[in-house]
Amino acid sequence: MPTTLTAIDPKLLELLVCPLTKQPLRYDAERQELISDAVQLAFPIRDGIPIMLPSEARSLEE
Amino acid sequence: MSDPIIFDRAQVRRQRDRAAATLAEHDFLLQESADRLVDRLEDVTRSFPVALDLGCHGGELSGRLRGRFGIETLVSSDLSPRMAEKARAGGALAAAADEETLPFAEGRFDLVISNLSLHWVNDLPGTLLQIRRLLKPDGLFLAAMLGGETLKELRQAMMDAELAEEGGVSPRVSPFVDVKDAGALLQRAGFSLPVADVDPVDVTYGNPMTLLADLRGMGETNAVAVRRKTLTRRGTLMRAMSAYQERFAGPDGRMPASFQILTITGWTPAK
Repeated sequence: MPTTLTAIDPKLLELLVCPLTKQPLRYDAERQELISDAVQLAFPIRDGIPIMLPSEARSLEE
Repeated sequence: MSDPIIFDRAQVRRQRDRAAATLAEHDFLLQESADRLVDRLEDVTRSFPVALDLGCHGGELSGRLRGRFGIETLVSSDLSPRMAEKARAGGALAAAADEETLPFAEGRFDLVISNLSLHWVNDLPGTLLQIRRLLKPDGLFLAAMLGGETLKELRQAMMDAELAEEGGVSPRVSPFVDVKDAGALLQRAGFSLPVADVDPVDVTYGNPMTLLADLRGMGETNAVAVRRKTLTRRGTLMRAMSAYQERFAGPDGRMPASFQILTITGWTPAK
């Protein structure tokens, strides 16, 4: 199934934190993003690979 | 921020992104170093259920670790998303992560292992501290990085050529950590039983241009932040290549290229 190819592995998900605050991340399965609430950044997951680089994160601030 | 920025991390990432597609044609050093890391791990008589391959390139080391050493979960991360994709294609749980700002949960890993990546980190003491925090008590950190004797011939040849052609020198090859400092750095980061040693890897090339192609192909060309943003003049490069040949060619006409692998090991204190 193609969806399982691109989904992030739960074992990986539970080992990830925000690179800046080291706090847990919120997983947005629909948008395929990992959200760090404290710094209002959304880290993209591309083809199952979380891109945990602040330079690639989407800012959630207005 | 008072710490000097030595390496341009965005440049390191770009070089690795570019290198990813054809890495297998140029990765002899990564493969050799991965073999040596595995040899060292074989001497350790414990298992590592949760392991992190930090700065994994195309997964050269991860592939050797999977299913061995009691590893149940192996995470492979690289600054370059393209490299992470390669590692994932080889079966890894891959993430793009910057060694300077690690996105991994503290106290969850039994092993953090790194193959030829940490010599690109600006704040090595800060990174070592973050790595130590990722580890469980009695966890192992084992890393290979390029040491100070690496590419001494190339550095000399480039310096000769720049002086002759341009009347000045600019940093060409990255500064490296000295083996004498490595143990103290580990200790400062809270590791016990710190060990640092160096191993040479000597190769020869028929043409120094092939060496440059291999360096580029591994994403290992100069990323020093103050490097010149302009291309090296053709005349300077040609002169460097002939200086390399004149100074270093052996009787068989082949050119030596010295690499030095600095291996550092530390344990987290048992509870």
